[in-house]
Amino acid sequence: MALEYFDPRKVFGNSVYELAKDNEDIVVISADSGGSSGFADFMKEFPERYVECGIMEQFAVGFSSGLATQGKIPVFCAIAPFVTLRPYEMFRNDIGYMRQNAKIVGRNSGITYSDLGSTHHSLEDFAIISMIPEVVVLAPQDPNEIKGAVKAMIEYKGPVYMRIGNPPIPNILPDEEFVIGKAKQLNQGEQLTVISVGTATENAYFAVQELNAEGYSIDHLGLGTVVPLDEEAIINSVKKTGKILTVEEHYEKGGIGSQISDMLMLNGVQVEKFQKIAVPHEYATSGPYKDILAKYQLDKEGIKNKIKNILI
Amino acid sequence: MKKGSNVNNRINFLKEKAKNTRLNVVRMLKAYPNGHVGGAFSLIDIITVLYFDYLDDERGDRFVLSAGHKCLAQYAILAEKGIFPKSILDTYGALDTKLPGHPDMHKLPGIKANTGALGHGLAIACGMAFSNRLDARDGTVYVALGDGEMSEGSNWEALSFASHHNLSNLVAILDYNKLQISGKVSDIMNIEPIADRVKAFGWKVYSINGHNFSEIIEALDNAQKETQPTFIIANTIKGKGLVRGAGEAACHYWKATPEDLDGLEASLQAEGVD
Repeated sequence: MALEYFDPRKVFGNSVYELAKDNEDIVVISADSGGSSGFADFMKEFPERYVECGIMEQFAVGFSSGLATQGKIPVFCAIAPFVTLRPYEMFRNDIGYMRQNAKIVGRNSGITYSDLGSTHHSLEDFAIISMIPEVVVLAPQDPNEIKGAVKAMIEYKGPVYMRIGNPPIPNILPDEEFVIGKAKQLNQGEQLTVISVGTATENAYFAVQELNAEGYSIDHLGLGTVVPLDEEAIINSVKKTGKILTVEEHYEKGGIGSQISDMLMLNGVQVEKFQKIAVPHEYATSGPYKDILAKYQLDKEGIKNKIKNILI
Repeated sequence: MKKGSNVNNRINFLKEKAKNTRLNVVRMLKAYPNGHVGGAFSLIDIITVLYFDYLDDERGDRFVLSAGHKCLAQYAILAEKGIFPKSILDTYGALDTKLPGHPDMHKLPGIKANTGALGHGLAIACGMAFSNRLDARDGTVYVALGDGEMSEGSNWEALSFASHHNLSNLVAILDYNKLQISGKVSDIMNIEPIADRVKAFGWKVYSINGHNFSEIIEALDNAQKETQPTFIIANTIKGKGLVRGAGEAACHYWKATPEDLDGLEASLQAEGVD
């Protein structure tokens, strides 16, 4: 059956819009970024709760904090590096340290803004936002999960960072409740644990499905949450397989691979092999998304080849 | 001014409260002798008026101390208002104190924002004011800015926003003691003509003597009636009330000796602050 593809930004914006119909506390913040964040319907329906800040992301994050002190649920979405790197101190102090019920969403995350170059890539957001205590970090993996994650994010009382991509993506996960901190078991197997996150899950998923057909036995966990990490699911899987491959659209330093390896060591879990597919520590190149994914082995073929190499 | 009160009686009351507030700072410094006293003492007269005659939490009034290093002033006034027991003042500087060197809303009642990094408070205050407007609450949001922190670009982002969205329920007060840690603001990064700059951003600007209680009250009363955001330039003296060192940059972060504190305490008790 042909897969149906959805623009993740529209799924996100529409999900916020649907919730805002019943939740009057939701306020959307734009830094000249609302239209591209899928908020067309929200802007039309709730103009008084749609706040345009212009291109000043530092302000937008501080402003969100001020709204949250008064009981509002601010949702600020813009291009990922501009809501994480640019206002990092505001994120840390005004949102994190103040434990605000504010939701900061980085779209066009990872290298999904492939052709716009390194200024517009976001390859360190898991690392830097994970360093802020008590901030939940979400990276939903498909349209169904984006919808569920938005609901969970709004219902959760506290600071949340969510990252979503840009190119259309298909539904590969069941349309079910999103539970913060719970990994999804996407395939059962014995030879290798593959852990993918967010936008990287689609290619990992199809790579594993094809390898199933070739007789491989792979345990695939898909992470929609980076913080808190689903330690139990990961440990149980790795104890079964002894080998692990992490797949992420993030720098190899500081991403889920790093965080999982830290966690396994601290828990005394031995692994026979630990490999990562991630972006090396360089300014990622510019070009068509699919080509950049292939360059860094983040495409389906790259993931399949990596898995085969590990299992030789 | 507080409704129904006699002006002169009220000013005498406020002066007494400002004296006690400075004495509360001395009490903290007796527990731990270091702190940002210069800015705290230049601000105390202004926030004494705010806390005693203007701020009503229930109404939605809020105060944000953007220059969070002046928290000695805020701790002292909150204690004077009875928001927390004065015995807590004696823990200043101690491990796990509720009175850290910059305020923490989760440690101490009455604190509305975790400030300290400069250039954050005005944006947070804009969010509070916008929220009050969304909810049709009458409350006014006050934010105290330092003059040195006006160099931070984020403040100018917030000045733009407040004007563009016409946050008439927002009052920024610039504690303009004209000194920052390394010397004169005019030498380090000039902010003049500050009144014209802020006016050009679309704010109503008042310039007052920040130690004159009548002028503080008049400006705050006028701000209530404005139909645009209000910026009060409060000309102040850094370290106002200190026996030695007032008006000098060195009092920005004061390391007091026991003799300094005894002398300051005696001076405040005997004469108050002119």
